[in-house]
Amino acid sequence: MIAMKDLRLSLKWLFIFSFILLLVSCMGRNSKATSANTEVVRRTTDPVTVDFWHTFNDEEAGTLKEALASFQKEFPYITVKLQQVPFSDALNKYKTVAQAGNAPDIFRAEIAWTTELASMGYLMSLDAFLDQKAQADFVPQALAYSRYKGHIWGIPQVTDCLALFYNKRLTGPKPPATLEELITQGQKLTTPDGKQYAFFYRGDPYWFTPFVWAFGGDLIDNQSLQVKIAEEPAVKALNFLIDLRKKYKIVPESVDFANDYENMQIGFKNGQYAMIINGPWSTADLLDGPEFKNPDNLGIARIPQGPGGWGSPVGGHNYVVAASTQKLWASWEVIHYLSRPEIQARFALKNNLLPTRKSTYDLPAVKANRIIQSFKHVLDAANTRPVIPQSGAVFIDLKPAYQAALLGEKTPETALKEVEAAWKELLSAE
Amino acid sequence: MLKVDRKTPYFFLLPGFGMMILLVFVPLLMGISFSFQNITQRNAYEKTFRVTELLADGGVAIKTEVQAATVKFVGLENYTKVFASNDFWQVFGQTLIWTFTNVFFHFVLGLGLALILNQQLRLKGMWRALLLIPWAVPSYITAFSWRWLFNGDYGFFNHLLKQVGLNGVSWLSDPFWSMFAVCVTNIWLGVPFMMITLLGGLQGIPDELYEASQIDGATPWQQFWSVTLPMLKPVAMVTVLLGIVWTFNMFNIIYLVTQDNPHTDILATFSFKAFFVRGEYGLACAYAVVILIILSLFSLLYLKVNKDNQVST
Repeated sequence: MIAMKDLRLSLKWLFIFSFILLLVSCMGRNSKATSANTEVVRRTTDPVTVDFWHTFNDEEAGTLKEALASFQKEFPYITVKLQQVPFSDALNKYKTVAQAGNAPDIFRAEIAWTTELASMGYLMSLDAFLDQKAQADFVPQALAYSRYKGHIWGIPQVTDCLALFYNKRLTGPKPPATLEELITQGQKLTTPDGKQYAFFYRGDPYWFTPFVWAFGGDLIDNQSLQVKIAEEPAVKALNFLIDLRKKYKIVPESVDFANDYENMQIGFKNGQYAMIINGPWSTADLLDGPEFKNPDNLGIARIPQGPGGWGSPVGGHNYVVAASTQKLWASWEVIHYLSRPEIQARFALKNNLLPTRKSTYDLPAVKANRIIQSFKHVLDAANTRPVIPQSGAVFIDLKPAYQAALLGEKTPETALKEVEAAWKELLSAE
Repeated sequence: MLKVDRKTPYFFLLPGFGMMILLVFVPLLMGISFSFQNITQRNAYEKTFRVTELLADGGVAIKTEVQAATVKFVGLENYTKVFASNDFWQVFGQTLIWTFTNVFFHFVLGLGLALILNQQLRLKGMWRALLLIPWAVPSYITAFSWRWLFNGDYGFFNHLLKQVGLNGVSWLSDPFWSMFAVCVTNIWLGVPFMMITLLGGLQGIPDELYEASQIDGATPWQQFWSVTLPMLKPVAMVTVLLGIVWTFNMFNIIYLVTQDNPHTDILATFSFKAFFVRGEYGLACAYAVVILIILSLFSLLYLKVNKDNQVST
């Protein structure tokens, strides 16, 4: 009897519950027609505070603070409130606050994030501030990633690419120039006791891309946007990396994808790995290591070339301004100041970050900097990726497949076929 | 006789109930309704495109164009996607492995330690305090420590293996060993709670039962099976069920120890990734609803067990 009553009671609640549910789900946002309006903002010198989220590492943040201190002298009415956000979380965090309309006025966005954020309507275009003449002073590969749908959405802050770092004490003055030499030279540099390996590569798919290009392949064609990742060159590239571990044994046998960035840096700094692949942002850290007490021991070269030539992804960061900002002029003053050649030069000389303006490269101090010039040489042969909102998201699908192939769970063919399917779906989405 | 006031208690309940509605039921209903829509991070909000232009007088014109959200009701499409994907079944399997491995070892080790602590021991207070330490340490610190121990190149375990001439193990990346690593971490973390609850249960068993059984000639082994276990059952059932519900949804350990690793994903981390990494809000909510249904079944079981216990005592 009691059971029956219980049942009836819960049925009643079930009905009420489903009814509310139905109501909520049917409420669906009614689509208003697109609307448009225009407002005009003028430059003022009223005191303002500008929020600035950045993803600089600690050394770079030090340079940024110094630069902002001198900015304050010139623009006493603008206060900049800095917040450091870990690079790996920054995109999601920014999207979350931007959705709520609380985005920081200025954000340092990775180049692939810029188009994604612009396509979602989170950014303010900067067309008004950058005329043709100003645009012409930026390195074209860097500025390309700020352009989306005919507008400029960010100011290139830094450009980068991946290069081969080598420990000259171990490799001698000449690093391998081709992938074959990487193997032959690598076998001499690897000791059987497991104390020293010639090379180390990461399980992060960004570190896989140079090899795809070196074998003559591509991720997605820049013009036709055709997915190329499952084609033969990419499969060969993946097989090559697996062979380095399994067949030639010139990289460590065990892997640790969760920690491999730190492990790679530690191992290279201590002479455990003779060669690694990394970008300009890491040089300050490397030069702290015991092996590089004499900075000349650190060699920087193009990643060895394969049948398809050299490969290296052009990367970098832009300063972007939030669509919701009420402080457009002040935000512009800040990023405009930080983009001055002499400020870019400070980041270049102190933190080895590659400048984005041609006039910065013309400064004598920058010209004399060996690391910047080596990277410039690598950058000249680096590969650009299509400027589409999905440029960053492609790595979400590439990562598990690439790692599964490295672990031997899937063959390179199957793994990359899966990526191809996922990318086609990603690109077809609006 | 006291006059029963029928209204006042409800007024007292009102603030609490209001908070519940706001913090639990509204988000819950929203989540459920999202699971029937094609909602993603790209179409969920109206988009404002702001294009700037320099005016002759030095001002900047901001042209704003607002594009409405394009969310549609799609029925069960998200759910068919969930159940049709291989990933879901793989992750579901991993969730079961994760949950039951953890709860099993929590219970067995917790019970063992509780039995030891329930004996006449010297320095009992100290042992108990020591065994409670894993519970007192913030879980993210535990996670980072274990992650460091499991580090493929510089971790303690691989260091040991290399000392005895073996190859290092890919603790945090290999399909089997990464699940092993997160389970070990979480077992270490969860045993103290189980131990302390079971110890409470053990101390509640009247001594007379042991004395009586001793007079009847029962061996310690027989006492364990015929006195301890049956008397402990009410407490044990409840803690195990609670443990299942918690572990099923345990997010931080997996996320912090192996990070983004498909081999250690459980439904909770998978749903998180669908929502925050891919921005597939509708799909992620469908996953969440599936989790909700599974956990509701466990909760019903829990309520039933709890009720039976109350009846029996």
